[in-house]
Amino acid sequence: MKEITLEMAEKMLQAAERWAELSGYPSSIAVVDKAGAVIAVHRMDGAGPMTTDISINKAFSAAYSGAPTLMLARMIDPRMMGPTPGSGGLGLLTQAKLRLMFIPGGNPIRDEEMKVIGGIGCSGVPDGVGEISDTTVVQAGYAAIYEEYD
Amino acid sequence: MVMNMDTAKKIIKAAIRHAQENDTLCSVAIVDERGFLVALHRMDRAPIPTVDIARDKAWTAATFRMPSSDIGKFGDPATPGFGFNTQNWNDRLTTIPGGLPIKDGDDIIGGIGVSGGMPEEDVAVCEAALADVTDLC
Repeated sequence: MKEITLEMAEKMLQAAERWAELSGYPSSIAVVDKAGAVIAVHRMDGAGPMTTDISINKAFSAAYSGAPTLMLARMIDPRMMGPTPGSGGLGLLTQAKLRLMFIPGGNPIRDEEMKVIGGIGCSGVPDGVGEISDTTVVQAGYAAIYEEYD
Repeated sequence: MVMNMDTAKKIIKAAIRHAQENDTLCSVAIVDERGFLVALHRMDRAPIPTVDIARDKAWTAATFRMPSSDIGKFGDPATPGFGFNTQNWNDRLTTIPGGLPIKDGDDIIGGIGVSGGMPEEDVAVCEAALADVTDLC
């Protein structure tokens, strides 16, 4: 598994959409390659137009940083601020032409050697309302290719 | 036919099949009647910029309610609407051929944008995909 093909991306989206449906919140899900470029995006019926770009940017952020966007969110938390202002992760805010997202729901995709080969992002499922969140949805998508390629 | 994720997926599948027959690598974007993205697929090894170009073509076709290739006519001072093409339309307006409105009878329900081949190949892929899917839905 060196890179993500369109076929794999569709498989991930299918699995992720099933979980988004279960949550009851229609959402958008995006898969990007290791360059952060979109391979596939789907906006489910009923999901707002804003969710497409957010899901793309979450997937991009995860592929670009190699960390789940949940971790990026923690890095810009003011409570993480060190002795010097800005020594936390606040500098991240202006990175990547303001495309970085700090909302949980984007995860990097790694190969067997733990190299980042892409990212997956979901937007539309609220965090902390039900049992399923954006992060759960992307993890479901992520798992779909691992089951097959393990 | 209404624009939803299923319709969008069917159109994309058809477009990618036609692109494969033509031996082109492309991205296919489907937007709804407001120009908002519904689904986008990039074929394996298709160049990265095709993603945004396909999306822009679909946006242009759906919101201007005409093929993206027709936008160029607003560059002619004799045409009513001269100068439309130089406005900053959300950074999305394009005059490159390969974007077509998707119609259900007389209603425009969305737009399709294909990017990756020569302009005429992209238009052919759009037309073939829409012809296939209009029969299905």
